[in-house]
Amino acid sequence: MSLICDSIGFTYPDAALPLFSNVSFRLPAPGFHAFFGPSGVGKTSLARIITGGIGRFSGTVTSAGLRTLLYSYNTERLPGWSSVGRHLERVIPPSQHRRLAELVEIFGLADCIGSRFNRLSMGQRNRVNLIRYLLQDCDLLIMDESLANVDELTREKIILAVKALFPERYFIYISHNVTEVARFCDAILVFRSADKAPQTVMVQGGNLRDGESLSRSALDATLLEIMNAA
Amino acid sequence: MLPRRILQFLIIYCLFIGTLMLVKYGLRLSDYVIPAPAAIFQTLLAEYRQYTLATMNTLTVAVVGQVLSVILAFAIGIVGRRSTWFGSFIKVAAYNIQAYPIVALAPILFILLGDGFLTRLLIAAMICYFPVLLSVLGIMSKPVEDIEHFYRATGKMRWQLEVKIRAFENLSQLTTVISGSATLAMAGTIVAEFIAADAGIGYSIRIALYQSDLGKIVIALFLIGITIAAYQGLLELLGSAVKRAWTGNALS
Repeated sequence: MSLICDSIGFTYPDAALPLFSNVSFRLPAPGFHAFFGPSGVGKTSLARIITGGIGRFSGTVTSAGLRTLLYSYNTERLPGWSSVGRHLERVIPPSQHRRLAELVEIFGLADCIGSRFNRLSMGQRNRVNLIRYLLQDCDLLIMDESLANVDELTREKIILAVKALFPERYFIYISHNVTEVARFCDAILVFRSADKAPQTVMVQGGNLRDGESLSRSALDATLLEIMNAA
Repeated sequence: MLPRRILQFLIIYCLFIGTLMLVKYGLRLSDYVIPAPAAIFQTLLAEYRQYTLATMNTLTVAVVGQVLSVILAFAIGIVGRRSTWFGSFIKVAAYNIQAYPIVALAPILFILLGDGFLTRLLIAAMICYFPVLLSVLGIMSKPVEDIEHFYRATGKMRWQLEVKIRAFENLSQLTTVISGSATLAMAGTIVAEFIAADAGIGYSIRIALYQSDLGKIVIALFLIGITIAAYQGLLELLGSAVKRAWTGNALS
């Protein structure tokens, strides 16, 4: 299994200049990877190109051995006609219901599972949305700001749990939190502004797992590398 | 909701009668042209039973016509929501046909079907059908991307779910359109009765017109107005009940 993007370029139909061009990278193994960069550089567009949401682009995406690629984002909503618990039970395969209960506990959602989606806070909504994606049968999941509005401690707990529970899966985490990305992510594709070449640089993150620790100097080195790349 | 609707109508009706009386006494028109309030009241006492029955007859046709047109509009709207050739054809046809005055087609229906129940029903249904269809088409053609994305991405989307999501997200708009179409259905039925039927309040107005009896027309207008206000109020109450049941008070 591997994800290879070769010379990807994309221009919005009404734009004069490309959003990005000649973006190439390779993710040879499953893990918790990341796209990092300032707003508007094309992280979401590249994510949608990889998962098939955007068809008109140049270059090639090769997802060898990856059957199902999903893209989730933070402003998604669940229908409001029944409780989130009922929705989750309906869209998650019965074989995953035990894991659903486990994730609800880890994600801190036990108290609001009987509520309707519009009654939840933004952070709770994002966690509920992420759970339903995690429990789908997929090989790659892109999490576009999926933990936005979630407090730092819960985010850390969720990321570590996701890495422990789904070690065979590819994740691409899109976030603006440089420390979080540097600590928990494996390969980090750093996006640079359009006037710089190359437009992306791959940086190795701390890839922290549950029970491990990352030295201050190692974290600082990764942070520095990301900031220099950007 | 219902009392507010009726109160609004009563205020408008009183303003209308007041204006009529101002014109009568301001221009010194005879009782033959505009009857005095006492004469209108006498007409009310004499005709209320027959006119109430006629209005109920009209309302029955309007309700059946509206139900038929709403069902048909939803069926066509759901089929035509897709960006296919057939979907585009339905949309273009609906926009073009609704621009044509349905009343102009009424004589054809009367010639072909006579002046009975069916003709009135068809005209009522046709007049309120197109506005409902255009609204349903607009609602059903517009994806609710932030909800539908998950179902599409995971291959769980079915047409029934798509329709349910779009209807749920536009529930307020749909209930407003349906309650608003009640007026059109009632207007359509009255127009049909006025042209060539043998029953209903529109037919009674036609007779009153031939008799140049403005008092009867004023009474008929009162009964039509109060009936439409009550019917729309009931539809709005029904819409609110559906919203409460479906959303768990989420939208209310």
